[in-house]
Amino acid sequence: MTTIAAGLAPALRSALANLILSMADDDLVIGYWDSEWTGIAPLLEEDVATSSIAQDEIGHARALYGLIGELTGTDADAVAYDRPAGAFRHARLLDGPRGNWAMTVARRALYEAADAVRLEALAGSGYAPLAGLVRKIQREEAYHLAHSDAWLERLARGGEEARGRLLAALDTLAPDAATVFAPLPDERALVDAAVLPQPMRILEQRWRERLAPDFRQLRLPMPGPAIDAEHGRDRHADAFRWLWEEMTSVRRLDPEATW
Amino acid sequence: MADEMADEMAAAIAESPAPEPRLEPWEVFRQEREGEPMAHAGSVLAPDAELAVHYARELAARRGESVRLWVVRRNDVHVLDDPDWLRPALDRSYRQPGGYVMRDKLALARAKVAGEPGPGER
Repeated sequence: MTTIAAGLAPALRSALANLILSMADDDLVIGYWDSEWTGIAPLLEEDVATSSIAQDEIGHARALYGLIGELTGTDADAVAYDRPAGAFRHARLLDGPRGNWAMTVARRALYEAADAVRLEALAGSGYAPLAGLVRKIQREEAYHLAHSDAWLERLARGGEEARGRLLAALDTLAPDAATVFAPLPDERALVDAAVLPQPMRILEQRWRERLAPDFRQLRLPMPGPAIDAEHGRDRHADAFRWLWEEMTSVRRLDPEATW
Repeated sequence: MADEMADEMAAAIAESPAPEPRLEPWEVFRQEREGEPMAHAGSVLAPDAELAVHYARELAARRGESVRLWVVRRNDVHVLDDPDWLRPALDRSYRQPGGYVMRDKLALARAKVAGEPGPGER
Protein backbone atom coordinates (compact mmCIF):
# COMPACT_ATOMS: atom_id res chain seq x y z
CA MET A 1 0.00 0.00 0.00
CA THR A 2 1.40 3.43 -0.85
CA THR A 3 2.04 6.01 1.83
CA ILE A 4 -0.74 8.24 0.51
CA ALA A 5 -3.19 5.36 0.57
CA ALA A 6 -2.15 4.30 4.05
CA GLY A 7 -2.76 7.84 5.24
CA LEU A 8 -6.46 7.67 4.39
CA ALA A 9 -9.03 6.67 6.95
CA PRO A 10 -10.16 3.08 6.20
CA ALA A 11 -13.74 4.14 5.46
CA LEU A 12 -12.61 6.78 3.00
CA ARG A 13 -10.11 4.40 1.45
CA SER A 14 -12.87 1.87 0.90
CA ALA A 15 -15.22 4.48 -0.57
CA LEU A 16 -12.47 5.69 -2.87
CA ALA A 17 -11.75 2.12 -4.00
CA ASN A 18 -15.44 1.76 -4.90
CA LEU A 19 -15.38 4.97 -6.91
CA ILE A 20 -12.34 3.90 -8.90
CA LEU A 21 -13.77 0.41 -9.31
CA SER A 22 -16.89 1.85 -10.94
CA MET A 23 -14.69 3.73 -13.43
CA ALA A 24 -12.39 0.79 -14.07
CA ASP A 25 -15.23 -1.65 -14.58
CA ASP A 26 -16.95 0.75 -16.99
CA ASP A 27 -13.83 0.98 -19.13
CA LEU A 28 -13.08 -2.74 -18.96
CA VAL A 29 -16.59 -3.77 -19.97
CA ILE A 30 -17.02 -1.32 -22.82
CA GLY A 31 -13.50 -2.08 -23.96
CA TYR A 32 -14.25 -5.78 -24.13
CA TRP A 33 -17.57 -5.37 -25.93
CA ASP A 34 -16.17 -2.98 -28.52
CA SER A 35 -13.11 -5.15 -29.09
CA GLU A 36 -15.50 -7.65 -30.65
CA TRP A 37 -15.55 -5.44 -33.74
CA THR A 38 -11.99 -6.42 -34.53
CA GLY A 39 -12.08 -8.13 -37.88
CA ILE A 40 -15.72 -7.36 -38.64
CA ALA A 41 -16.18 -3.59 -38.41
CA PRO A 42 -18.07 -1.99 -41.32
CA LEU A 43 -14.98 -0.29 -42.75
CA LEU A 44 -11.42 -1.56 -42.65
CA GLU A 45 -10.16 1.74 -41.31
CA GLU A 46 -12.89 1.71 -38.71
CA ASP A 47 -11.80 -1.78 -37.68
CA VAL A 48 -8.43 -0.33 -36.76
CA ALA A 49 -9.87 2.77 -35.08
CA THR A 50 -12.44 0.88 -33.01
CA SER A 51 -9.98 -1.81 -31.99
CA SER A 52 -7.56 0.90 -30.98
CA ILE A 53 -10.17 2.73 -28.94
CA ALA A 54 -11.30 -0.49 -27.24
CA GLN A 55 -7.70 -1.25 -26.43
CA ASP A 56 -7.28 2.25 -24.97
CA GLU A 57 -10.29 1.66 -22.72
CA ILE A 58 -8.86 -1.57 -21.38
CA GLY A 59 -5.59 0.26 -20.83
CA HIS A 60 -7.38 2.92 -18.82
CA ALA A 61 -9.11 0.19 -16.84
CA ARG A 62 -5.80 -1.45 -16.11
CA ALA A 63 -4.32 1.80 -14.81
CA LEU A 64 -7.39 2.36 -12.63
CA TYR A 65 -7.30 -1.20 -11.26
CA GLY A 66 -3.67 -0.49 -10.46
CA LEU A 67 -4.74 2.47 -8.31
CA ILE A 68 -7.20 0.23 -6.49
CA GLY A 69 -4.41 -2.25 -5.97
CA GLU A 70 -2.42 0.48 -4.25
CA LEU A 71 -5.36 1.24 -2.00
CA THR A 72 -6.07 -2.33 -1.06
CA GLY A 73 -2.66 -4.00 -1.26
CA THR A 74 -3.55 -6.29 -4.17
CA ASP A 75 -2.57 -6.28 -7.83
CA ALA A 76 -4.53 -5.04 -10.83
CA ASP A 77 -5.22 -8.50 -12.30
CA ALA A 78 -6.63 -9.77 -9.04
CA VAL A 79 -8.88 -6.75 -8.68
CA ALA A 80 -10.11 -7.01 -12.26
CA TYR A 81 -10.57 -10.74 -12.70
CA ASP A 82 -10.86 -12.45 -9.34
CA ARG A 83 -14.43 -11.37 -8.75
CA PRO A 84 -17.74 -13.05 -9.46
CA ALA A 85 -20.00 -11.40 -12.03
CA GLY A 86 -22.21 -10.01 -9.27
CA ALA A 87 -19.31 -8.04 -7.83
CA PHE A 88 -18.77 -5.96 -10.95
CA ARG A 89 -19.74 -2.32 -10.60
CA HIS A 90 -19.94 -1.02 -14.13
CA ALA A 91 -23.00 0.92 -15.25
CA ARG A 92 -25.96 -1.17 -16.43
CA LEU A 93 -25.77 0.84 -19.68
CA LEU A 94 -22.80 -1.34 -20.55
CA ASP A 95 -24.31 -4.75 -19.73
CA GLY A 96 -25.60 -5.55 -23.19
CA PRO A 97 -23.63 -6.81 -26.16
CA ARG A 98 -22.17 -4.47 -28.75
CA GLY A 99 -25.14 -5.07 -31.05
CA ASN A 100 -25.04 -3.66 -34.55
CA TRP A 101 -22.93 -0.66 -35.51
CA ALA A 102 -25.67 1.78 -34.57
CA MET A 103 -25.93 0.26 -31.09
CA THR A 104 -22.18 0.56 -30.59
CA VAL A 105 -22.21 4.18 -31.81
CA ALA A 106 -25.22 5.11 -29.68
CA ARG A 107 -23.79 3.56 -26.56
CA ARG A 108 -20.38 5.09 -27.11
CA ALA A 109 -21.94 8.51 -27.60
CA LEU A 110 -23.81 8.24 -24.30
CA TYR A 111 -20.90 6.73 -22.40
CA GLU A 112 -18.12 8.95 -23.74
CA ALA A 113 -20.05 12.09 -22.82
CA ALA A 114 -20.66 10.70 -19.34
CA ASP A 115 -17.04 9.67 -18.92
CA ALA A 116 -15.89 13.12 -20.06
CA VAL A 117 -18.03 14.79 -17.39
CA ARG A 118 -16.79 12.36 -14.76
CA LEU A 119 -13.16 12.83 -15.74
CA GLU A 120 -13.50 16.62 -15.76
CA ALA A 121 -14.74 16.49 -12.19
CA LEU A 122 -12.10 14.03 -11.00
CA ALA A 123 -9.24 15.96 -12.60
CA GLY A 124 -9.75 18.12 -9.52
CA SER A 125 -9.93 15.23 -7.06
CA GLY A 126 -8.32 15.71 -3.70
CA TYR A 127 -6.74 12.26 -4.08
CA ALA A 128 -3.66 13.21 -6.09
CA PRO A 129 -2.91 9.81 -7.68
CA LEU A 130 -6.42 9.70 -9.11
CA ALA A 131 -6.33 13.32 -10.31
CA GLY A 132 -2.99 12.70 -12.00
CA LEU A 133 -4.13 9.54 -13.79
CA VAL A 134 -7.39 11.18 -14.80
CA ARG A 135 -5.58 14.07 -16.45
CA LYS A 136 -3.57 11.64 -18.57
CA ILE A 137 -6.65 9.65 -19.48
CA GLN A 138 -8.49 12.84 -20.46
CA ARG A 139 -5.94 13.57 -23.16
CA GLU A 140 -6.65 10.23 -24.86
CA GLU A 141 -10.37 10.44 -24.25
CA ALA A 142 -10.59 13.67 -26.26
CA TYR A 143 -9.90 11.53 -29.33
CA HIS A 144 -12.54 8.97 -28.33
CA LEU A 145 -15.12 11.69 -27.89
CA ALA A 146 -14.37 13.26 -31.26
CA HIS A 147 -14.61 9.88 -32.97
CA SER A 148 -17.84 9.04 -31.19
CA ASP A 149 -19.41 12.40 -32.09
CA ALA A 150 -18.35 12.00 -35.70
CA TRP A 151 -20.21 8.70 -35.99
CA LEU A 152 -23.28 9.85 -34.08
CA GLU A 153 -23.68 12.66 -36.58
CA ARG A 154 -23.03 10.45 -39.60
CA LEU A 155 -25.67 7.94 -38.57
CA ALA A 156 -28.18 10.58 -37.50
CA ARG A 157 -27.86 12.22 -40.91
CA GLY A 158 -27.12 9.08 -42.85
CA GLY A 159 -30.56 8.51 -44.33
CA GLU A 160 -33.51 6.41 -43.37
CA GLU A 161 -31.84 3.14 -42.53
CA ALA A 162 -28.92 4.56 -40.57
CA ARG A 163 -31.08 6.98 -38.66
CA GLY A 164 -33.70 4.34 -37.99
CA ARG A 165 -31.19 1.98 -36.47
CA LEU A 166 -29.66 4.75 -34.39
CA LEU A 167 -33.05 5.74 -33.02
CA ALA A 168 -33.85 2.11 -32.23
CA ALA A 169 -30.55 1.76 -30.39
CA LEU A 170 -31.08 4.94 -28.38
CA ASP A 171 -34.55 3.72 -27.50
CA THR A 172 -33.15 0.42 -26.19
CA LEU A 173 -30.45 2.19 -24.19
CA ALA A 174 -32.60 4.99 -22.78
CA PRO A 175 -33.71 3.28 -19.54
CA ASP A 176 -30.10 2.58 -18.60
CA ALA A 177 -28.27 5.56 -20.09
CA ALA A 178 -27.94 7.53 -16.86
CA THR A 179 -26.67 4.57 -14.81
CA VAL A 180 -23.13 5.89 -15.28
CA PHE A 181 -24.19 8.36 -12.60
CA ALA A 182 -25.80 5.84 -10.27
CA PRO A 183 -25.19 6.94 -6.69
CA LEU A 184 -22.07 5.39 -5.19
CA PRO A 185 -21.86 3.76 -1.81
CA ASP A 186 -20.44 6.29 0.67
CA GLU A 187 -20.66 9.04 -1.91
CA ARG A 188 -21.19 11.58 0.86
CA ALA A 189 -17.82 10.74 2.42
CA LEU A 190 -16.11 11.16 -0.92
CA VAL A 191 -17.68 14.55 -1.54
CA ASP A 192 -16.91 15.74 1.99
CA ALA A 193 -13.28 14.73 1.56
CA ALA A 194 -13.18 16.53 -1.83
CA VAL A 195 -12.11 13.25 -3.42
CA LEU A 196 -15.24 13.43 -5.56
CA PRO A 197 -15.66 17.15 -6.23
CA GLN A 198 -19.36 16.95 -7.07
CA PRO A 199 -21.99 14.31 -6.29
CA MET A 200 -23.17 12.04 -9.09
CA ARG A 201 -26.54 13.74 -9.48
CA ILE A 202 -24.76 17.02 -10.33
CA LEU A 203 -22.56 15.19 -12.81
CA GLU A 204 -25.63 13.61 -14.37
CA GLN A 205 -27.09 17.09 -14.87
CA ARG A 206 -23.88 18.21 -16.54
CA TRP A 207 -24.00 15.18 -18.81
CA ARG A 208 -27.47 16.08 -19.96
CA GLU A 209 -26.44 19.69 -20.55
CA ARG A 210 -23.53 18.44 -22.57
CA LEU A 211 -25.56 16.07 -24.73
CA ALA A 212 -28.58 18.29 -25.24
CA PRO A 213 -27.28 20.69 -27.93
CA ASP A 214 -26.01 17.90 -30.21
CA PHE A 215 -29.07 15.76 -29.66
CA ARG A 216 -31.31 18.73 -30.37
CA GLN A 217 -29.45 19.56 -33.55
CA LEU A 218 -29.57 15.95 -34.73
CA ARG A 219 -33.22 15.54 -33.67
CA LEU A 220 -32.39 12.68 -31.33
CA PRO A 221 -34.39 11.96 -28.18
CA MET A 222 -32.58 12.60 -24.91
CA PRO A 223 -32.60 9.62 -22.52
CA GLY A 224 -34.77 10.03 -19.46
CA PRO A 225 -33.83 9.23 -15.88
CA ALA A 226 -32.44 5.74 -15.34
CA ILE A 227 -34.80 2.99 -14.31
CA ASP A 228 -33.87 1.50 -10.92
CA ALA A 229 -31.19 4.18 -10.64
CA GLU A 230 -30.20 3.20 -7.09
CA HIS A 231 -29.02 -0.14 -8.45
CA GLY A 232 -27.59 1.20 -11.65
CA ARG A 233 -24.27 -0.44 -10.90
CA ASP A 234 -24.99 -3.46 -8.78
CA ARG A 235 -27.79 -5.20 -10.65
CA HIS A 236 -26.68 -6.53 -13.99
CA ALA A 237 -28.49 -8.05 -16.93
CA ASP A 238 -27.91 -11.66 -17.95
CA ALA A 239 -26.02 -10.49 -21.03
CA PHE A 240 -23.19 -9.40 -18.77
CA ARG A 241 -22.90 -12.91 -17.35
CA TRP A 242 -21.80 -14.10 -20.80
CA LEU A 243 -19.14 -11.37 -21.01
CA TRP A 244 -17.90 -12.16 -17.51
CA GLU A 245 -17.47 -15.82 -18.49
CA GLU A 246 -15.51 -14.79 -21.59
CA MET A 247 -13.26 -12.18 -20.10
CA THR A 248 -12.37 -14.14 -16.98
CA SER A 249 -12.07 -17.51 -18.71
CA VAL A 250 -8.32 -17.41 -19.25
CA ARG A 251 -7.66 -16.17 -15.73
CA ARG A 252 -9.90 -18.81 -14.20
CA LEU A 253 -8.12 -21.59 -16.10
CA ASP A 254 -5.10 -20.93 -13.95
CA PRO A 255 -5.13 -17.92 -11.64
CA GLU A 256 -1.51 -18.50 -10.68
CA ALA A 257 -0.18 -18.47 -14.23
CA THR A 258 2.10 -15.69 -15.37
CA TRP A 259 1.89 -14.48 -18.96
CA MET B 1 -44.98 22.32 -30.85
CA ALA B 2 -41.32 21.33 -30.67
CA ASP B 3 -42.42 17.73 -31.10
CA GLU B 4 -44.29 18.55 -34.30
CA MET B 5 -41.26 20.31 -35.70
CA ALA B 6 -39.09 17.40 -34.73
CA ASP B 7 -41.48 14.97 -36.39
CA GLU B 8 -41.52 17.01 -39.60
CA MET B 9 -37.78 17.25 -39.60
CA ALA B 10 -37.38 13.55 -38.96
CA ALA B 11 -39.83 12.75 -41.72
CA ALA B 12 -37.97 14.99 -44.13
CA ILE B 13 -34.71 13.27 -43.31
CA ALA B 14 -36.28 9.84 -43.57
CA GLU B 15 -37.92 10.53 -46.91
CA SER B 16 -34.93 12.11 -48.58
CA PRO B 17 -32.70 9.73 -50.51
CA ALA B 18 -29.85 8.47 -48.41
CA PRO B 19 -26.68 10.38 -49.23
CA GLU B 20 -24.24 8.17 -51.08
CA PRO B 21 -21.24 7.86 -48.84
CA ARG B 22 -18.22 7.52 -51.01
CA LEU B 23 -15.08 6.07 -49.61
CA GLU B 24 -12.20 7.96 -51.15
CA PRO B 25 -8.50 7.52 -50.81
CA TRP B 26 -6.69 10.12 -48.72
CA GLU B 27 -2.93 10.40 -48.76
CA VAL B 28 -1.20 10.63 -45.40
CA PHE B 29 2.06 12.44 -44.78
CA ARG B 30 3.85 12.36 -41.48
CA GLN B 31 6.58 14.30 -39.82
CA GLU B 32 9.02 12.49 -37.59
CA ARG B 33 10.26 15.53 -35.70
CA GLU B 34 9.58 19.24 -35.86
CA GLY B 35 11.44 20.70 -38.82
CA GLU B 36 11.73 17.44 -40.73
CA PRO B 37 10.14 17.15 -44.17
CA MET B 38 6.67 15.68 -44.46
CA ALA B 39 7.09 12.12 -45.67
CA HIS B 40 4.46 10.01 -47.40
CA ALA B 41 3.17 7.38 -45.01
CA GLY B 42 0.52 5.62 -47.05
CA SER B 43 -3.17 6.15 -47.63
CA VAL B 44 -6.52 5.53 -45.96
CA LEU B 45 -10.04 5.14 -47.29
CA ALA B 46 -12.53 7.48 -45.66
CA PRO B 47 -15.83 9.18 -46.50
CA ASP B 48 -14.70 12.66 -45.44
CA ALA B 49 -11.88 14.72 -43.96
CA GLU B 50 -12.85 14.28 -40.32
CA LEU B 51 -12.75 10.51 -40.39
CA ALA B 52 -9.74 10.58 -42.71
CA VAL B 53 -7.82 12.39 -39.97
CA HIS B 54 -8.89 9.78 -37.40
CA TYR B 55 -7.81 6.94 -39.65
CA ALA B 56 -4.55 8.67 -40.55
CA ARG B 57 -3.78 8.88 -36.85
CA GLU B 58 -4.25 5.15 -36.54
CA LEU B 59 -2.07 4.57 -39.58
CA ALA B 60 0.82 6.88 -38.88
CA ALA B 61 0.73 8.06 -35.28
CA ARG B 62 -0.55 5.19 -33.21
CA ARG B 63 2.77 4.58 -31.53
CA GLY B 64 3.64 8.20 -30.99
CA GLU B 65 5.94 8.18 -34.01
CA SER B 66 4.79 11.44 -35.60
CA VAL B 67 4.58 15.05 -34.45
CA ARG B 68 2.43 16.13 -37.36
CA LEU B 69 0.24 14.61 -40.04
CA TRP B 70 -1.05 16.00 -43.30
CA VAL B 71 -4.09 14.32 -44.77
CA VAL B 72 -5.02 15.15 -48.33
CA ARG B 73 -7.76 13.84 -50.54
CA ARG B 74 -6.04 12.04 -53.38
CA ASN B 75 -8.29 13.81 -55.84
CA ASP B 76 -6.96 17.11 -54.57
CA VAL B 77 -3.43 16.13 -55.34
CA HIS B 78 -2.28 17.60 -58.63
CA VAL B 79 -0.18 15.07 -60.47
CA LEU B 80 2.49 15.74 -63.05
CA ASP B 81 3.79 12.66 -64.83
CA ASP B 82 4.11 13.83 -68.41
CA PRO B 83 7.63 12.82 -69.55
CA ASP B 84 7.90 15.79 -71.91
CA TRP B 85 7.48 18.09 -68.92
CA LEU B 86 9.72 16.09 -66.62
CA ARG B 87 12.43 14.82 -68.97
CA PRO B 88 12.79 17.33 -71.82
CA ALA B 89 13.95 15.96 -75.20
CA LEU B 90 16.77 18.44 -75.75
CA ASP B 91 20.07 18.30 -73.93
CA ARG B 92 19.91 20.27 -70.75
CA SER B 93 22.92 18.77 -69.10
CA TYR B 94 24.23 22.23 -68.27
CA ARG B 95 21.62 22.28 -65.52
CA GLN B 96 23.38 19.40 -63.78
CA PRO B 97 26.25 19.82 -61.39
CA GLY B 98 29.20 18.83 -63.53
CA GLY B 99 27.21 19.38 -66.69
CA TYR B 100 28.99 22.63 -67.48
CA VAL B 101 32.72 22.09 -67.35
CA MET B 102 34.61 25.00 -65.85
CA ARG B 103 38.11 23.56 -65.67
CA ASP B 104 39.50 24.91 -68.92
CA LYS B 105 37.82 28.25 -68.57
CA LEU B 106 39.26 28.62 -65.07
CA ALA B 107 42.74 27.82 -66.30
CA LEU B 108 42.44 30.55 -68.92
CA ALA B 109 41.23 33.06 -66.39
CA ARG B 110 44.05 32.29 -63.93
CA ALA B 111 46.59 32.64 -66.68
CA LYS B 112 45.25 36.06 -67.63
CA VAL B 113 45.40 37.21 -64.04
CA ALA B 114 48.98 36.03 -63.77
CA GLY B 115 49.88 38.13 -66.80
CA GLU B 116 50.69 35.36 -69.15
CA PRO B 117 49.37 35.70 -72.61
CA GLY B 118 46.83 33.06 -73.21
CA PRO B 119 46.79 30.93 -76.32
CA GLY B 120 46.06 33.12 -79.32
CA GLU B 121 46.84 36.38 -77.47
CA ARG B 122 49.91 38.66 -77.54
